[in-house]
Amino acid sequence: MSEDRRTEGQSDQSPWDMASGAFIAWRSGDAAAMDELVATMTPILWHVVRAYGHDRQTAEDVIQATWLGFVRLHRTIEDPQAVASWLITSARRGAAAHTRAARRATPVQDETLHAALPDAESAEALAMLDDEASRLWGAVATVDERCRKLLRVVAFMDRPDYQSISQDLDMPVGSIGPTRARCLAKVRTALMKGGER
Amino acid sequence: MTDGDAALLEELRDMWMTYDPPPPGLVATMIAAVAAADLDAEWEMLTLVRDSRDEPAAQVRGLATSRILYFTAAEGWSLDAELDDGQVRGQLLDFDGDMGAVEIVVDTTDGQSWTTALDEVGFFTLGAEPTGSVRFTVRDSGRSATSRWIEL
Repeated sequence: MSEDRRTEGQSDQSPWDMASGAFIAWRSGDAAAMDELVATMTPILWHVVRAYGHDRQTAEDVIQATWLGFVRLHRTIEDPQAVASWLITSARRGAAAHTRAARRATPVQDETLHAALPDAESAEALAMLDDEASRLWGAVATVDERCRKLLRVVAFMDRPDYQSISQDLDMPVGSIGPTRARCLAKVRTALMKGGER
Repeated sequence: MTDGDAALLEELRDMWMTYDPPPPGLVATMIAAVAAADLDAEWEMLTLVRDSRDEPAAQVRGLATSRILYFTAAEGWSLDAELDDGQVRGQLLDFDGDMGAVEIVVDTTDGQSWTTALDEVGFFTLGAEPTGSVRFTVRDSGRSATSRWIEL
């Protein structure tokens, strides 16, 4: 049992249910519902895209492209319940495509960089972090990139769509669950070692 | 997933939300981007320009029971539809694309839905008796235009 530090977890509705509710309302003519859908899903898309190691500006570009694609293609989404998964899958594909395009450039190890050099807006948040969370951050920074990516994507998915994750991460569907467990074990081990870099 | 794994994953999620939150203006930026894109997509709207219900009955062709609707899209094509006695018939006019790839969808607020293709000159016929309010959608590969709900 971990204490719930999330402030937005007040409602009983998961982001997935809120997203499909807003999507249905928008489709039946409630224009304002689109804002709710964007507000609900954008933070989740942020974490999904950042899991691919993109810098903040690139992450923003990928997310914007995801939303524009959604406006163009929303009629192809047959099941409103699937709107959150559709957006996440689309964002992941965009993030993966960007990674391929940026291969020639040296990828910035943004995760570690960001931890070492907190920018102004997160400095305050960092100052408030308890020791436990910063140890966790240090531990996560020591596990391999593949594990970090998998954990971050899965952590922000309510109903992981293993089929599409497996394509992006290039691993068989059946191994996602066991891999997740192994990656979490790596984090635990690193925590016990003190998570020092 | 074990309880321990679920709890750790939850802690990780909290950690990422704290350490690497979305930029403060991100949601507002995306809302604006979507709103702008939505405006661009307005050409996709199917606008009702003529409704027989708003006209003197004398001008209505054929049976007084029929309801004639005429829509235009900003792209310049139009859709003619007639609801009469268990049938929805109509024609797509001045459409530049491939008629064979076009589908006409009729939805109602009562949850009914019918879909049909066009013949080579753009005519369609559906055996359908819509109730409630009705909405027309003209769809071809990847694009679609939908009307507002029209009370029957």
